[in-house]
Amino acid sequence: MGSGIAIWQVIILTIYSMYQIMDELTLQTSLSQPIWAGIIAGLVMGDLKTGLIIGGSLQLTVLGVGTFGGASKIDANSGTVMATAFAIGTGMKPEVAVAALGVPVASLMIQTDIVARFANTFFQHRIDKLIDEENYSGIERNYLYGYLPWTLSRGIPVFLALAFGGPFVRTAVDYMNTNLAWLSNGLATAGALLPAVGFAILLRYLPVKKHWPYLILGFVITAMLSTIYGNVTLLGTTIAGMNAKFTTVFANLPMLGIALIGFALAAMQYNRSVKESNLVAAQPKQNAGATDLDEQDGEIHGDEL
Amino acid sequence: MATNSNKTNYKLTDKDFKQMNIRSLLFNQVGWNYERMQGSGYLYLILPQLRKMYGDHTPELKKMMKMQNQFFNTSNFFNTIISGIDMAIEEKEGVNSLETVAGIKAGLMGPFAAIGDSIFAALVPAIMGAIAANMAVQGNVVGAILWMLVNFVIMWFRWIQLKFAYKQGVSLVNEMQGQLNALTDAATLLGVYVVGALAATMVNTHVIFVAHLGKMTVNLQDKIDMIMPKLVPALIVGAIYWMLGRKRMTSTKAIFIVIIVAVVLSALGIIGKA
Repeated sequence: MGSGIAIWQVIILTIYSMYQIMDELTLQTSLSQPIWAGIIAGLVMGDLKTGLIIGGSLQLTVLGVGTFGGASKIDANSGTVMATAFAIGTGMKPEVAVAALGVPVASLMIQTDIVARFANTFFQHRIDKLIDEENYSGIERNYLYGYLPWTLSRGIPVFLALAFGGPFVRTAVDYMNTNLAWLSNGLATAGALLPAVGFAILLRYLPVKKHWPYLILGFVITAMLSTIYGNVTLLGTTIAGMNAKFTTVFANLPMLGIALIGFALAAMQYNRSVKESNLVAAQPKQNAGATDLDEQDGEIHGDEL
Repeated sequence: MATNSNKTNYKLTDKDFKQMNIRSLLFNQVGWNYERMQGSGYLYLILPQLRKMYGDHTPELKKMMKMQNQFFNTSNFFNTIISGIDMAIEEKEGVNSLETVAGIKAGLMGPFAAIGDSIFAALVPAIMGAIAANMAVQGNVVGAILWMLVNFVIMWFRWIQLKFAYKQGVSLVNEMQGQLNALTDAATLLGVYVVGALAATMVNTHVIFVAHLGKMTVNLQDKIDMIMPKLVPALIVGAIYWMLGRKRMTSTKAIFIVIIVAVVLSALGIIGKA
């Protein structure tokens, strides 16, 4: 390797980076956090203390950066792995390692992350087909195939960076960002657009024709409030950038509030339906009384027989 | 099942809850994808239970599997609450509950995502991350280990909430005895409302095309925002909805059309990721 990182160290750190994304998606033990990336990379490289310091400082920089609705976030985990491995292995300064290796790896990962989320769409459609074929074990198998795109999307960039160093990764990122820019932009756009397909299919399962006014309400309330909240937040950060005295922080649109409006509308509908069905139920009761009389008639007829 | 095609005779046992919980903790989101996000994950989580309820190779099972394989996305800290309520309703009402379940899933996924993200994706990592990081820069691993312990406690909550939600679901269904229609009505209303709200926030596309008319530049997105913000996402969802209603159109064909159109329009500089 010639970079002060042994091949077994490269392999273990690659496996860790493949594991951490699965941990983030499923168990969430905190092993996917930068702090643990620092500890694990430090232990593998034989210097826990350096790993702790790098992991801790990167953890502080991403404090409060969470994922919302499946959006990609800053990859501080791989940045920590790079910084720790190269700081201990080659004596590179951690800040330099983050800038020279962590950032290119993270930008390569944005691309592989998009490809992974696309690849799983393919398995999603395989499952559609297997439902028609009633192949139950096939459904489960194709679901678990999702492991492949996810783990490779992290493993490949980390392995390339650790094994071949920063220049190689930067060349790859440059190529993606110039020659293949149309494709990576296109895939990013398509990825942003694909939830629309999911919503459209879901609407086919819901009685849209009956409840269409609420589709409009849900959309318009959210579209307008999110625009207002977004603009206010933008204003706030802009003013804070110009004037240090301005310290007010504006929150994002609370989706729970949007949902609560929906709950209220649903509750009103529920009460209305109950009332209606009680009215309907009250009428047949009179009819039921009538049939009782008929039945008494029937009994008389029966007696005659 | 033979006696009454609409009702299932299966009652969930502790073994079922255990199986669902293991699938939730270890495999939830493995199939996450752009189109339906946790859609196949939701089906995977309850597939063994659906098979027990409806029986293998029945038309009812196929119908329910299809519905359960649609768009779904919520906090992976609260997902089994929705599964628990779902199971309680399906156990009682069987295939009749298809619309109710679709409505409840769509209606509850948004609120639970909002609560779950703000607590478990923002608040807990911010607090525990600060503690762990401050100890770590002094060379101390205790903070990181503490964070992991906290997450194991959270996992325990994730484990017990399924049975709790299921029990709540059972009493909900019993309380609303004979009111399934009213419940369906309310649940599907909420579902439709939430899909409308999600279309406004989760389809992140806008027009990047800027027209140059002589010396004047016209930013199309600005003009569209004056008519109605998020109009482009709404039109896209509407167009795909219409497209899916066409004969011989499958969701697989639709998704290829959408990908190709998106890549072409993006390469031409007309639309882009917001």
